Amino acid sequence: MLLVVTACERPPMEVTQKGPRGLGLQTVQNPRTVEESMAALEESLPQTLTPLPAMDPAPAGAFENVQVLGHLSEAEFTVTMQQITNWVAPEQGCNYCHVVTPDSVNYASDAIYTKVVSRRMLQMTQNINTNWTAHVGDTVGVNCWTCHQGNPVPSNYWFFSGDPRQPERHYLDRDGLRVQGEFALASEGDNTHSIKDAEYAYGVMMNLTNGLGVNCTFCHNSARFADWEESSPQRVTALRGLRMIRNLNMDYMVSLQDTWPTDPADYAGLPDRARTGPLGDGPKLSCATCHQGVNKPQYSNEASYAGGWRAINQIGRPGATADDSDGG
Amino acid sequence: MAEFQNLLNQVQVHGPPDPGIPTANSAWARVWKPGRMSRLYGMIGDAQVGPIYLGWLGITSLIFGFAAIEIIGFNMLASVNWDLVEFLRQLPWLALEPPAPEHGLGLAPLAEGGWWQIAGFFLTISILLWWYRMYHRARSLRLGTHVAWAFASAIFLYLVLGFFRPLLMGNFGEAVPFGIFPHLDWTAAFSLRYGNLFYNPFHMLSIAFLYGSALLFAMHAGTILATAKMGGEREIDQITDRGTAAERSMLFWRWTMGFNATMESIHRWAWWFAVLVTLTGGIGILITGPVVDNWYRWGQKHGIVPQYPAVYAAPAVPVQPGELDAPYQTAPPVTFPGLPGFTIEDDPAGLLQSSPADVFTRQVNPTIGGM
Repeated sequence: MLLVVTACERPPMEVTQKGPRGLGLQTVQNPRTVEESMAALEESLPQTLTPLPAMDPAPAGAFENVQVLGHLSEAEFTVTMQQITNWVAPEQGCNYCHVVTPDSVNYASDAIYTKVVSRRMLQMTQNINTNWTAHVGDTVGVNCWTCHQGNPVPSNYWFFSGDPRQPERHYLDRDGLRVQGEFALASEGDNTHSIKDAEYAYGVMMNLTNGLGVNCTFCHNSARFADWEESSPQRVTALRGLRMIRNLNMDYMVSLQDTWPTDPADYAGLPDRARTGPLGDGPKLSCATCHQGVNKPQYSNEASYAGGWRAINQIGRPGATADDSDGG
Repeated sequence: MAEFQNLLNQVQVHGPPDPGIPTANSAWARVWKPGRMSRLYGMIGDAQVGPIYLGWLGITSLIFGFAAIEIIGFNMLASVNWDLVEFLRQLPWLALEPPAPEHGLGLAPLAEGGWWQIAGFFLTISILLWWYRMYHRARSLRLGTHVAWAFASAIFLYLVLGFFRPLLMGNFGEAVPFGIFPHLDWTAAFSLRYGNLFYNPFHMLSIAFLYGSALLFAMHAGTILATAKMGGEREIDQITDRGTAAERSMLFWRWTMGFNATMESIHRWAWWFAVLVTLTGGIGILITGPVVDNWYRWGQKHGIVPQYPAVYAAPAVPVQPGELDAPYQTAPPVTFPGLPGFTIEDDPAGLLQSSPADVFTRQVNPTIGGM
């Protein structure tokens, strides 16, 4: 009995009605938990510099080995690098990715795997902010801090568990989720989906719901889950988000498979380094990676917006090099 | 202790245990002879505990039941790598799952549902033996067999869930897993798969009888307790020989609701309500899948689904044609993106052993604080 009671939160809750009345179509939030979590967020806000206005791209020779930020000016590039450090590795500093030791300073070097990962992550963020505005909004967007929150490895990621029905596979290579048929009678259609299929769909939805910190009725009329006409507009946003996350996992996270250090010695004593899962795979994203239990990531705090950072809200291109005939 | 013996006092009768009437097997089939008096039991019922009649039916039923529980328990223990602490911690989420649908109605390998089949078979044998034991004990006391038939109604629902319906659907993957939350998750998944079970009229009937049973139980128990000081607890006497308790209780219900059951009929009301809970429920489950595929659509077709006003705004970014056509679920993948050459078929290290407890309990890492 005590267990049951301690598993509950004390009233009052904040209830917002979303659908027609009398149907329980409402969102329930614990105002005390939200307040606490928002206070924690305020404390963890990154130091944010002012993005510079667009100027001529950095000339040839200014930087070496610039593959995805070639559209930035020299000053903008420097400020952006500092801001990325604030977002992702504020405690670790430049040498989390760059070779900066007393003996050797080589910012261009790709020797540390985190630099290679960062480059791919910049491309991923550029992709999100330009191609997936239907999910992240064309004025909001995301930046590195949205997921990283000052941690070199974001807090929520997943690996293959080995279970082929692992719910997170829906964020990767399993698109279909529907199990309900279109017709009343079994003889009218040929819907052969099993209870196990339904349990998989349920698992995916629970994973999503935990990631967003909402209940079923945030998107659905729970009396008729499949019906789009009685679903909130957030369900459409969520569907777009699922398509986005499959794109991000398949094209960006999986492509880094050979980059992750697999030898435990590579990350011994480095708790912030990414690890690989039990099957040897690299970390992958879910809704929770960005949302972290809040349906609007970071309670719509501007520190998580793409803002005027052209490094992440435009598709980048390689920087000019001394070899370029047109001079850049 | 000169008090009148009725339900309204706490007097316990203690004395030499009553051994009960002799029967053919009473020499060996009864255990805990000759019974003993317990003050604790006296507080909630009769103070005499035992003897209990086991007999061959009871003994074999217990053996099969014990075997089933052992199989379920050890499978759950194996699923947490034989870690007793984890077993206790995760017990509510641990499961022994039925075979995957691909195995059909045949025997599945032990680790892939075979143990579930064996445990289910043993549990069914145990329950059926226990049913026959109840029937047999009632006959040997020259009683009616009402209790046994009420139990049979519950067994019908149990068999529908774990055997008859899977038989009609062609695979044991449809059956209910063993486990505390897993069997609840199964009911949720079942309702979701078939478009909301609340639109199933047999489910409606079952719920009506279930709640009705509770209501009848409260009305009947309240009536008898209220009339106990007039001898109302001697219900059976008063069927044939109306005392003031019977007369007053019937008058009470006529005054309050215009109609009354009798000392006899109230028990038929209660028996049928209870029996019909699982009987109608079982029928509702049995036709879900083999006959009806989507109860919501069925409800629309038969005019029981209400229409609600469209209150939601359109999405900020308009829906493109075909955008909402999310595809149906397909078979689980056998390959793992990013791990070329690694498939479900070759699993040298046994890495693909699933942990069912994991699926529904995975939580978000609360970085921002209390979520």
